[in-house]
Amino acid sequence: MVDVFNVVEAIALVPLVSFLLVLALGNRMPKKGALSGIAATGFSLAISLLVVLDLATGGEVYHEELFTFVAGDGAGVELSFGLLVDPLAALMLTIVSLISFLVHIFSLGYMNDEGEIGLRRYYASLSLFTFSMLAFVYSDNLLMAFMFFELVGLCSFLLIGFWFREAGPPSAAKKAFLVTRFGDYFFLVGVVAVFATFGTTAFAGDHSFIVEATHVLEPDATGEMNTFLGLGEQAWITVVGLLVLGGVMGKSAQFPLHTWLPDAMEGPTPVSALIHAATMVAAGVYLVMRMYGFYALSPTALGVIALVGGFTAFFAATMALVKQELKQVLAYSTVSQYGYMMLALGGGGYVGAVFHLTTHAIFKALLFLGAGAVIIAMHHNENMWDMGGLKSRMPVTYWTFLFGSLALAGIFPFAGFWSKDEVLFETLQHALSGEPLLLVGYAFGLLAVVMTAFYTFRMVYLTFHGEPRTDTAASPEPIGWSMKFPLVVLGALSVVGGVLNMGVLKDFIGSENLFLKKWLEGKTISGELGPLSAEEYHHILESDFAAGYEVTELSPLGPGALALVLGLVGLGAAVALYRAPEPTPHMTKLGRIRTLLMNNYYLDEFQVWLATGVTAPLARAANKFDQSGIDGVVNGAGSVSMFTGERFRRIQTGIVTNYAALLSLGLVLLLLVFGFLGGWF
Amino acid sequence: MTAPLEWYLVLSAGVFCAGLFGVLVRQSALHFVMAVELMLNAANINLVAFSLEHGNLTGQVFALFGIALAAAEVAIGIGIILVLNRNFDDIDVTEAVTMRW
Repeated sequence: MVDVFNVVEAIALVPLVSFLLVLALGNRMPKKGALSGIAATGFSLAISLLVVLDLATGGEVYHEELFTFVAGDGAGVELSFGLLVDPLAALMLTIVSLISFLVHIFSLGYMNDEGEIGLRRYYASLSLFTFSMLAFVYSDNLLMAFMFFELVGLCSFLLIGFWFREAGPPSAAKKAFLVTRFGDYFFLVGVVAVFATFGTTAFAGDHSFIVEATHVLEPDATGEMNTFLGLGEQAWITVVGLLVLGGVMGKSAQFPLHTWLPDAMEGPTPVSALIHAATMVAAGVYLVMRMYGFYALSPTALGVIALVGGFTAFFAATMALVKQELKQVLAYSTVSQYGYMMLALGGGGYVGAVFHLTTHAIFKALLFLGAGAVIIAMHHNENMWDMGGLKSRMPVTYWTFLFGSLALAGIFPFAGFWSKDEVLFETLQHALSGEPLLLVGYAFGLLAVVMTAFYTFRMVYLTFHGEPRTDTAASPEPIGWSMKFPLVVLGALSVVGGVLNMGVLKDFIGSENLFLKKWLEGKTISGELGPLSAEEYHHILESDFAAGYEVTELSPLGPGALALVLGLVGLGAAVALYRAPEPTPHMTKLGRIRTLLMNNYYLDEFQVWLATGVTAPLARAANKFDQSGIDGVVNGAGSVSMFTGERFRRIQTGIVTNYAALLSLGLVLLLLVFGFLGGWF
Repeated sequence: MTAPLEWYLVLSAGVFCAGLFGVLVRQSALHFVMAVELMLNAANINLVAFSLEHGNLTGQVFALFGIALAAAEVAIGIGIILVLNRNFDDIDVTEAVTMRW
């Protein structure tokens, strides 16, 4: 068998080729380039699966530098391009290419069959998006990751603003770009800080910045780093970690930079599925996972991550409770679920976070594609109060959507149950041994469980149950196989995805059957995963020189049951309230709270006010100072020269006699000066 | 018996002042040229006087150069005066004031 790692570059490069091909010839290709995209992502998926298979059966981690653009010559910094395919990257490659593949197929029905124009642009952007994300996933250093991180941002800008002739999408695209750019600004400073501190940005290898940082903090310190601003070593590591976290919070839509994501619903629905499940938003969380060994060194950074994550999970869930558009509910649920992943990462639950990222990718892609099918059926009306009764009219969509919803709500035995439970359990485990920040995060997480189940089933009942509330809902447009196929695949995966890591049942099935844990600990590969393995991360987390977390031994059954009961409570409440054939809009009873939630806590207004009420006057004042102060000095110097020149040029009379007189006078003066100085008199 | 050096210098200073006076007060370009000649010759008188005083010929050689220079200067000066006359119909230097601010 050919060594699959010889072609590992092709995983990202084939979508890039597809991008160029579609860009050049898209209009003349069958299906306007969809087939080329499907082929490319299908190829990437196949190779990714082979890589996973190889790593699962004792392959070796692939880490290779492909290209060096600045050679360090042993001193200073070195910039290079390289690939790192370890279990985490391989898993993520598979997720990204799988979701992208299914989204391409779904787009056949969503875009092509609807007679959309501009399909060449659509498929080209989609391929470029896939390429950037795949390349980001197996980047072996922070700088390269940053480049592709930015490219991912650009592609989401292009795709969110796909329908640029309407009013909403361009503004949403601009907002997404600017808000994530704001976070990326900190990330860029962070990349430079990592360079300045460690002289390298490599993720893997014996001299990666993560390993160096660990060696610096270890009791018998052997590593070297530069610190700045007079901070201690751990404090500086915290600062660098928080700077990079800025980019993560922008991309992964964490409070307070989450405002772009609900607006991003203006893009085509398959794009939303791709952005929310596998690419754009996942990139932020994935970055934290990629350099988790670094974050594990700083308890402060971990605390911030956990608190931001827990709060975001709760905060976004409250807003999802009252939304009327199908995609808006899903958008806020995405923000909330990524909050869970951040909570897990901050709470020391690396495996839980990766697990939740995986299952979330599956069920959120499923829900978005399901929503896309509903939107097509409803002729692009997204208001859930205009739907109802779609259950019997679109059974495939209904059942798959239901599975996705059960997974999102965290109901046993669907995929989301296992992963959400793992997130909460691992956080609780570390929180109970004296980490109050984690306890707060955990409490937020539990509250969000109830609300997640509630808004999910409010959405399901309003959309699919009861009587049709409009004529369109009574006779929806049928959807084709290209939309059903991805739904069925993802629906099946949502049901069985939990098998990867059934942590709750650890005591019954034995911890050797927690596949994902073994996978991330590098137990399946030959050789050592070293500093990239989950085991090593936990070791660092529990070391006193680093985060210093302690594990409280708990049975996972209790917290698992608690989360399940809370989920069922939320689900039950939603069913009780919205089961009626003609459900009443109960949320209007909330009155002013509802208004507050509908307006997203006025955060958008607040951010606009920040821009127009604070930044703009500041900029105007600075401009005024520049115009009058700085320019005033320069202009003043000019005016003085002009004025004196105007006066002095009058001595140029043109009369030669005057010149002669001046010359003589000058000579006499000179003689007198020399005379006085030379002591002639 | 020879005259003392100071006499030559007083003569030279007198001639030079006469030339300078001419340059400063005369309006005719021809007078100008003559005044300049006077100033040059004042310098030549100095050179020859010092040459005599020191007993070597360097000053006299220089004076020869000065005379040659004066001749050349007159040639150019006359040329300028001709052009002046052609452009302004006059050789009054206070009239030719187009080259000013």
